[in-house]
Amino acid sequence: MAGKRQLMTLTVNGDDYEMLVSPRQTLLDVIRDQVGLTGTKEGCTTGSCGVCTINNDRGEAVLSCLTPALEWQGKSITTIEGLEVNGKLDALQNAFLDYGAVQCGFCTPGVLMSAKAVINAFDHPGEEDINDGMAGVLCRCTGHIKVKEAIRNVADSSNETQRERRDDGQ
Amino acid sequence: MLLPEHEFSKPASLRDSLTELAEAGGEVKLLAGGTDVVFNMRGRLFRPDVLLSIRDLPELQEVEQLADGAVSLGAGCRLSELERHALLKGYPGLIAGLRAVASRHVRNMATLGGNLNLDTRCWYANQTAEWRAAKGPCLKTGMEVCHAIKSADICVALNASDIAPALLALDASVVLASLNGERTVKLADYYTDDGVQHTVRRPDEIMTRVLLPKNSDRMAYIKETARKGNDFAYATIAASADGHGNQCSRVRIVLGSLTTRPALLLKTAAVLVEHGLDDTTIKAAVGEVRDELGALTNLYTPAAYKGRIARALVREALQQLREQ
Repeated sequence: MAGKRQLMTLTVNGDDYEMLVSPRQTLLDVIRDQVGLTGTKEGCTTGSCGVCTINNDRGEAVLSCLTPALEWQGKSITTIEGLEVNGKLDALQNAFLDYGAVQCGFCTPGVLMSAKAVINAFDHPGEEDINDGMAGVLCRCTGHIKVKEAIRNVADSSNETQRERRDDGQ
Repeated sequence: MLLPEHEFSKPASLRDSLTELAEAGGEVKLLAGGTDVVFNMRGRLFRPDVLLSIRDLPELQEVEQLADGAVSLGAGCRLSELERHALLKGYPGLIAGLRAVASRHVRNMATLGGNLNLDTRCWYANQTAEWRAAKGPCLKTGMEVCHAIKSADICVALNASDIAPALLALDASVVLASLNGERTVKLADYYTDDGVQHTVRRPDEIMTRVLLPKNSDRMAYIKETARKGNDFAYATIAASADGHGNQCSRVRIVLGSLTTRPALLLKTAAVLVEHGLDDTTIKAAVGEVRDELGALTNLYTPAAYKGRIARALVREALQQLREQ
């Protein structure tokens, strides 16, 4: 039985998209091939690696590869492209640069969106909260320590001024 | 890779979903969080004619306290919501079970009903279609042969739910709805020994709620796994008991991920109720475990390892119960 394409609307990074989507497409397929935002990567497609991580409308990390696109009719999501606002990088992105929390970079969109979810969920995330939030995304260059340092730096309220400085893009 | 061909349908109410389920011509798969169903569709293990999304059904989202102290959990609640739900604060053993599932990412999507109905796992069936094509179909995919365990005449794939053992230890029940009304089934009677048809849910039914009786005084939960995050278990154990110190009553011990049906160890528990939780009795109880588990397979881990880890986990869980 050939599944009918359905018209769906999806809000990505605040922009509304209306498109014909096949039941065969996952949310990841639609983000990359139809919306045209290729920052979100396709890795294992089985829920193990986490590089396809995006944020849902509650700012939580979810896997775009394990969900049919049509499930997201009318919903709002944030992808890696949505972190940068008006040409300014997000505090997390700046921290990743400062700490060198990037090696080959393939997992970085997924790592950043997972980290963003941790920052969204906790005012003061502890070691366990960060580990829990980041366990679902794998860096095969083994760069997890610097990633955690960058997250802790952004999350640490004592670094309020530093966060502001980062937000200013300095 | 695109998912296999199918119709996608997302009715607005439970009633509409049940009607569509009852009237469907072909095979329908229920889609909740999608983390297991989409995974199995990618591997072409599931090729449904219709994918029926029940994720956002309002009837499946409620968590409420019932008059008799029990708690009713909507089957469509996401695991990450339940983990921090105020009504579940008194159930640390269940929360440990919820938190043991995969990763934060998966728990933000996966639902309670989805986890309880998780398809059974096998190292042969859970490969890509291309990989399986080399040897052909098995009991799970339409042939009367098992490629994982040569002597098996019934599918022996393992139940991999991390939450089922915790809910079984709490003696939970599940509510199944169909157009003919609702029925309540004890979770202990919900699973079968057949890895293909591994629950008693009929094709026209949707699991709507999980009923959690009043909590036990003490509960232990352990998931033994290769990596702490994002992995299936070698084995899980959930054990609950009433009473304090060595005294115990209403003991329930459940081992998960070792068999097709999560194993509720009644004989082992009976030893403890009679004599308490002292070292000698725990040793005697551990001695019962292997017999009570019955036949074990070499699926994923050798049967001898399964027996050893089962005994070790029972000992550890009972010691934890005693100290609570």
